[in-house]
Amino acid sequence: MTLRPRARHYRILVQTLFLLSFMVLFFGLAVDRVPGWVASILLSLDPLTALGTALADWTIPAWTWIGLIILAATAVLGRFFCGWICPLGTLQQLMSWIAGPERRKRNKINRYRTWFSLKYVILTVILVWAALGADHAGWLDPIPLLHRAVAGGLRPLWFGGMTPGGWVAFGMLAAILLLSTWMPRFYCRAVCPLGALLGVTARVAPLRIRRTSDSACSGCTLCLMACQGADEPLENHRVSECHVCLNCLPSCAEDTLKFGLPVVQHSPEMPPLDVGRRRFLLTAVTTAAVAPVLRATGGGEARAADAIRPPGALDEEAFLARCITCGACSASCPTNVIVSDVGKTGIEGIFTPILNMRRGWCEPSCTRCGEVCPTEALAIVTSEAKQAVDGPAEVTIGTAFLDRGRCLPWAMATPCIVCEEMCPTSPKAIWLEPAELRARDGRTVMVQQPFVDPELCTGCGLCENRCPVGEQAAIRVSSVGETRDPRNRMLTGRRSG
Amino acid sequence: MTDTPSDKSIGRRDLLKTWGPAALAGAAITALGAGLSGRPGRHQRGSGEVAPTPPDWRIDPGTAGKVAIAGGAGPSANLGRALQVFGGIDAFINEGDRVAIKPNCAWDRTAAQAANTDPELIGELVRLSLAAGASSVVVLDNTCHDPARAFARSGIAEAARTAGGTVAHQNSTGTVNLDLGGAVLGEWEVLQPIAEADRLINVPVVKHHSLGRGTLGMKNWFGAIVGRRPSLHQRLDQVCADLGAAFRPTLTVIDATRVLTGGGPTGGSLDLVRKDDLLAVATDPLAADAWGATLLDFGPAELPYLAIAERLGIGTTDWRSVATTV
Repeated sequence: MTLRPRARHYRILVQTLFLLSFMVLFFGLAVDRVPGWVASILLSLDPLTALGTALADWTIPAWTWIGLIILAATAVLGRFFCGWICPLGTLQQLMSWIAGPERRKRNKINRYRTWFSLKYVILTVILVWAALGADHAGWLDPIPLLHRAVAGGLRPLWFGGMTPGGWVAFGMLAAILLLSTWMPRFYCRAVCPLGALLGVTARVAPLRIRRTSDSACSGCTLCLMACQGADEPLENHRVSECHVCLNCLPSCAEDTLKFGLPVVQHSPEMPPLDVGRRRFLLTAVTTAAVAPVLRATGGGEARAADAIRPPGALDEEAFLARCITCGACSASCPTNVIVSDVGKTGIEGIFTPILNMRRGWCEPSCTRCGEVCPTEALAIVTSEAKQAVDGPAEVTIGTAFLDRGRCLPWAMATPCIVCEEMCPTSPKAIWLEPAELRARDGRTVMVQQPFVDPELCTGCGLCENRCPVGEQAAIRVSSVGETRDPRNRMLTGRRSG
Repeated sequence: MTDTPSDKSIGRRDLLKTWGPAALAGAAITALGAGLSGRPGRHQRGSGEVAPTPPDWRIDPGTAGKVAIAGGAGPSANLGRALQVFGGIDAFINEGDRVAIKPNCAWDRTAAQAANTDPELIGELVRLSLAAGASSVVVLDNTCHDPARAFARSGIAEAARTAGGTVAHQNSTGTVNLDLGGAVLGEWEVLQPIAEADRLINVPVVKHHSLGRGTLGMKNWFGAIVGRRPSLHQRLDQVCADLGAAFRPTLTVIDATRVLTGGGPTGGSLDLVRKDDLLAVATDPLAADAWGATLLDFGPAELPYLAIAERLGIGTTDWRSVATTV
């Protein structure tokens, strides 16, 4: 018996290739030899990345214009991205193939439900919010979501340093995959804002699933059993829901389904999106009212002092207009210092990258996070700009402050110079003054007490990382002095911004 | 007549069926209790277990060591000349030896910045070791900066690999728990290739250091151990001496091709670098450090760990008495 290749087989092949490339490219994020934009190219392929930054920051940065090609192709072919490319869709499909509902139950679970229109509400919120200056598409957009879940939830299993943000990100992925065992591609059908964007676009697509005859359908529902999108090819086909998986074509008992241009004059009318004008307006107005409140919870200027952004980060307002919280920066970091935040940067900053100096430090010559950032929320900086050799650095992320109450030579008459030893600037931003102290027992102890020169400090955090004083170091970096924000400074006359 | 259960006498088979499973469960539970009750937990050490001490990598531990100083001809030629004093590298490396070379490769700095050991010197050591019959040569360090970057930018990875050696660091290799037996240093994790090496060569670079004043051979062993190293600086002199007593290398090669005279141990600015084009090959690590101290313009008396090390019997601080200049 020979296997006659069908459209479905090509689809499975393409899906496998994209899932594998996602995995390979993900590991490529941390490999310097792989150009950064190549490692994060799947994120640029995502049209919502381009649209989000276009609305929020009036720019389509770096390689994200590639997503517009996908969007244009969707206007011709329908949601092929969902059925053929999206690795999160593939994972769900795989999951429901392994552990999904039984075949005979599938013609019920694969029916369209009106609450699938929730994704259009979510898309509306995201786009209105972006138009108001904050791009949060990445929270639910499947491509950043998957990157973030692997960066925050799976990668730490090998490289250590699980954080609350990572747990939440991975929990989202686990929930999506578990729900797909109840309903195939639940997330794609009901939640996915990228699916919603592509669905709206697909409504104009000339190429779509069509019936070659209006009368031949016997209503057997065989096409529903294999349907991924719950788009009901047997009735009034919902093009906006169809993932173009093409499973229905060979399933039709009467052989009346095909993918292509119209063949009969009286094709059934396409049903509406189930989001009326009123619901759309209500959603838009509510978003506009709530957005400023969310910014006041800690985004912008109100963030915590120890919320250190990676080097090259734009100033906070521009940063929040660009960061899609994909976690590519954290997966690319050689010292694992970048974590997905939950809490320090407010609600708007959920999943945005901050540095935890107890986990790592910002390697002086490394510029990888900026290289892999698909939206240039982290601008690419040069290695030289980050290093203060023979003068202050052009790019700094904060300033180290001594906690003299915890510092061994300041508070405990105990010699220690580790922060100064580690300081990588030249001359060193941390310098030592000899001091003669009297210990409790009357002995005279000679120590060297550290001081920080804020002009030279780059905020790299190597001092904090290596300080022997337990989990709360005696020298800690705070964001003041970061070059990205001219307002977050303490010294007048320091480098112009 | 009906056969009610109460009438029936219990046979041997029935007894086994009724009570057998319960008896087995009881035996299993008892065995579990008897086997584990009062034992030390998985994360505790049993009373009988002790960590091994480091091996002695010296060729001839009984005899007094020597120092050979060479200069003016570049790292490779200097090394060759200094080794001739001992009869060449063959005097130290036999056929099939696994050799570990410990440079200072702690920092993401170029060779010209002198924060790390000179790469040419490391490459030449690898080449000579392999030529002498070594079965493998590994160049390794527990770096302070990101290891991949430190090994790449220092040029040491490329030099070692070109010469036929391999590279290892804290993220690429495992560790072995050893009892270092010092006054401060007890049990520490040691980079596995060092613990497993037949021959060990220490190749520090001469550098300024704000606490120890200078960093030389014994301080270089910081890169052999893994753990909470920053807390060791509180008793740095004792720790350096402890390290010198725990790690007895086959050879110490002090690299003074470039000397970092300030801003150490990281350096950065080229203004801090002095080109001496000197090196010393030593079988007395203490005399080697004492000689290195003179390059930093202070005498052995100003490095307190040298006196402690002398009391521990590591060698002599009177380097002139054992030195040959070639």
